[in-house]
Amino acid sequence: MHQILKDLRKDCLRLSHRCQDGNLQSAFSCMEIVWVLYDKVMNWAPDRAMDPDRDLFLISKGQATFALYPVLKQKKFFTDADFSDIGDLHSRFSNQTDVTKFRGGVENSAGSLGHGFPMAVGMAWANKIQHFSGRVYVLTGDGEFNEGTMWEACILAAGKRLDNLCVIIDDNSSVGELIDMGDLGMKLDSFGFQVFHVDGHNLTELERTLRIRPEEGVPVAVIAHTERGHGSKTLMENSVWFHKSPNKDELEMLFKEIDSL
Amino acid sequence: MRRTFLNRVAQMIRNEPDTTFFTVDIGMWAIQDILREFPDRATNVGIYEDGMFSVAAGMALRGLVPTIFGIQPFLIERTLEQIKLDLAYHKAGVNVVGTGAAIDYSKYGYSHYCAEDVAIVKLIPGLEFVAPGSPKEFGQLFDQSYRNGHSTFYRISDHPNRTELDVKFGQANVVKTGTRATVIAVSVMLEPVLDALGDEDVTILYYTTLEPFDRKTLAENVPSGKVLVCEPHFAGSLLWDIHQSLSGRAVQIGSVGLPREIFRTYGTYEEKMVHYGLDAATIRRRYFELLG
Repeated sequence: MHQILKDLRKDCLRLSHRCQDGNLQSAFSCMEIVWVLYDKVMNWAPDRAMDPDRDLFLISKGQATFALYPVLKQKKFFTDADFSDIGDLHSRFSNQTDVTKFRGGVENSAGSLGHGFPMAVGMAWANKIQHFSGRVYVLTGDGEFNEGTMWEACILAAGKRLDNLCVIIDDNSSVGELIDMGDLGMKLDSFGFQVFHVDGHNLTELERTLRIRPEEGVPVAVIAHTERGHGSKTLMENSVWFHKSPNKDELEMLFKEIDSL
Repeated sequence: MRRTFLNRVAQMIRNEPDTTFFTVDIGMWAIQDILREFPDRATNVGIYEDGMFSVAAGMALRGLVPTIFGIQPFLIERTLEQIKLDLAYHKAGVNVVGTGAAIDYSKYGYSHYCAEDVAIVKLIPGLEFVAPGSPKEFGQLFDQSYRNGHSTFYRISDHPNRTELDVKFGQANVVKTGTRATVIAVSVMLEPVLDALGDEDVTILYYTTLEPFDRKTLAENVPSGKVLVCEPHFAGSLLWDIHQSLSGRAVQIGSVGLPREIFRTYGTYEEKMVHYGLDAATIRRRYFELLG
């Protein structure tokens, strides 16, 4: 594993430890996706975080918040000191985002599933109307597609020909344990998206796919095949880590595990 | 009132390039040309409420002024979480214009009634609720608020008052002053209130903005300690505001409004208003009961 991806995961663990909350499995499964977006794909920089033409990144799966903050720290938008009170009563930061506390860096308030994707559709549509050049990237879970609003968003995005929209599905097989959703790619294709499959932990593959310019008038869906807890054997093997924060001993143990990769 | 609103929409879309309009498949008869001429900014999105609110919120966060038009229960009750999170939590300025409440679709059954609307919207902090009593008032209130950066719900009625007043957003009208009681006439209840009590020695206050509620005007106009609230939605929807306006004072409150029950009736609008006691005769009876 690339050193930066190890560092991001360790920052993620530190945030969860300080906050005493978080969904680490979910954050670890999308770490490469968020990193590649900010490092290689998006037209975004800390000093242009409020530029109307910037690319936007929205979190629809709120559990990914602890993947976003370490990436924005790595990109020098936040510092460690910013996170010192994470989860405290009056902190700007917690394990979900509140967009009203930020000027840039965070584009939406995440939490309930099925909201970020249609909101991203509204932003992509607004960019078209105002001739803003920015693209809109939105990260969803696979389980989130059980929500009806996700499919409503698909219908509108395709109907309005929003080729400046890219939905990235962090497919960590969470619905595999629920009901059989069938073939998500075929479903999205039939809803009018250009669909790509990618190994969601392979930086090169992610970069290549996320950089593809879409056909005119066609929104893009990237199904990133991932593993919950990727990068930590402990997180992958024990489902208690879906919603658990590490104590001091666990933090050290998980650091070692990541370093040994 | 619908026609006034749709004319206003046409004017807005033509002249203000940062505005957008979505109809949930109603009212197209009046704005066909706008839908054709401005397909990017004026769209019939079809039967589509939940996601539409998130989409509109996203647009507002990108600097546009979106307005959604639909049927009140589907706009407010179906989309409650979108209202709470995407509008209120994000502080997104979206205008929502609803027709049909509370019982305008009098023969459609409970699915199309929405006596709960104002109480629901008032429970979510930061939202605004406007209920004009006439087309002219709609125009005034819309113009004063649609660009204020807050999400505002406008309830338009197919049964307006005969009287048209000049109204201000966030401010009640003192229609007349008297000594024996204060009558709060909300929106389309002004007409039956005037029919019932226009000649009595009462103060009549007319409310068209229900959130934020003008507490000051009420506090300054209750000479007798007796208040009769006449509201065309669930009775008691404004009680918290009345309580806060008159905090620390001994008051007696009478109520005319839709009863808190599931409506299983049909009939005409007028029949319903009489059946549920929102008519002049009931108002007059409640008034004398309040006087004791």
